[in-house]
Amino acid sequence: MSTTMAPVKARRSTTEKEQETPAWQKRLTSDRAARIAALLSFFLFWVLISWLFLRVPGPIEVVQRLVDEFSRGEVFGNFGKTLYRFGVGVALATVVGIAIGVVMGLSQLGRAFFESPVLVGLSIPAIIWSFLTVMWFGFGDLSPIVTTFLTSVPFVIVNVAQGVRGVSRDLRDMSTTYNVPLSRRIKDLVLPAVTGYVAAGVRFAIIIGWNGVLLAEWFGGGGGVGYRARWWYDANRFGGFAAWVVLFVGFIVLLDRFVLDRMIQRAFRWRDASA
Amino acid sequence: MAVLTVKNLAKTFNVGTAKASRVLDDISFDVRGGTFVSIVGPSGCGKSTLLNIISGVEEHTSGDISLTSDSGGPARMGYVFQDPRLLPWRSVMKNMMYVQNDRSEPTVARCRKYLDMVGLTKNADFFPGQLSGGMQQRVGIARAFAVEPDLLLMDEPFSHLDAITARGLRAQLQDIWAQSKKTVVFVTHDVVEAVELSDRIIVLQPGGRIYEDITIDLPRPRRQTDPTVATLQAEVLGRLEAMKALSRTASEVAA
Repeated sequence: MSTTMAPVKARRSTTEKEQETPAWQKRLTSDRAARIAALLSFFLFWVLISWLFLRVPGPIEVVQRLVDEFSRGEVFGNFGKTLYRFGVGVALATVVGIAIGVVMGLSQLGRAFFESPVLVGLSIPAIIWSFLTVMWFGFGDLSPIVTTFLTSVPFVIVNVAQGVRGVSRDLRDMSTTYNVPLSRRIKDLVLPAVTGYVAAGVRFAIIIGWNGVLLAEWFGGGGGVGYRARWWYDANRFGGFAAWVVLFVGFIVLLDRFVLDRMIQRAFRWRDASA
Repeated sequence: MAVLTVKNLAKTFNVGTAKASRVLDDISFDVRGGTFVSIVGPSGCGKSTLLNIISGVEEHTSGDISLTSDSGGPARMGYVFQDPRLLPWRSVMKNMMYVQNDRSEPTVARCRKYLDMVGLTKNADFFPGQLSGGMQQRVGIARAFAVEPDLLLMDEPFSHLDAITARGLRAQLQDIWAQSKKTVVFVTHDVVEAVELSDRIIVLQPGGRIYEDITIDLPRPRRQTDPTVATLQAEVLGRLEAMKALSRTASEVAA
């Protein structure tokens, strides 16, 4: 019996392939290049739409209106007001949301107690809360703060409760065996285990809360980004309106990219170290 | 003095339902302070359930368990599980501290001492994911000894490890135990391991009853290569085979 040995083609390792790829090709296929391409595509789309439809302000007009707003001294004061209301609302939603979420995750009774109110909270849109809080609290800081809180807290609760329920049973049994006190279990076992869920909840809270604060300012006045956007809307000046939209969308994107993303990376550094 | 006393212990799962099954039946034994007792038996005979009941993770159906502490206070327990059960987001040292009663300097020093005894001083700041399976299990062992337990429970701690790592860890466990003289209840299905480590072996039979209580009177430290250890291992293994044959015959007669 004869056997035929086919020559095996030499295969290159991933390191070798990486070394052979030209630098320009690596740059063109990087994540950074994809992000820049997305931004450029959006920008070109915007230019095209503004060129086709008169009612859509183009980038140059929006930048001019933004510069005007800066020179009038409207930006920092209004933005500061909104940030304060938004910050307080989201911070409260995070603290209260984590506390209720942990209770719902750990206790069957807690879950039964909070489940229906949370479901109701999730189903009420930000616009309804903004109407209600303006009627309840008038035109001050309180209505946007409460609107931000009420619109965002259910999302934190749901995410945290889900995370707590998913905490490893093996680690919980280990803690029981060693009689680890409840406070330490929450700090060292439950909270780190739910960090990902908390981060997702806070991200939702920020995006939903931002809607809430702007709507409350839109309808309730008393200064702020929402109030100023409405001012331009009422004046039928879409360039000014769009300038404020660009400002707060830009703020959320930067906050997510440079603050939330880095916080999440820091919280999960044990995972990166293990890889 | 007995550290652990178990009297007429029974455990039935799904009590009061059609699916009720008795896994432990009329178990009685006591464990004197400073001894190393192994519980062996075939799979499903209730070894791990017994350990879970002693540790308080699981409830028993009837009978009594009492634990005595040298200090007069509540008895302190250590537990080495089949898998290391470490918090992946805390460093090795923080995992050691997680189960301690206090954060005092002597406690920190004690944790360092046991980490040193398992050869992991240099890895104190590592996350568990940065260690091999054997190293993680060594952290689990160090953690259990570092709580200075009145009773240390070990549930097949080397069953997930390769043979060479397991052999090294068994030798290390013998050394630590010789120095600390803690009271240990060790569950294993490996008779060879039980003979190497124990002062006494309690054999459980299918159905969760005690079949035999064997005293291992051999000098320490013991190594598997030692002929007297090997002879005794063969003898105990023979008794276990006889028990299995008896159980098989009994179940055939019952059928």
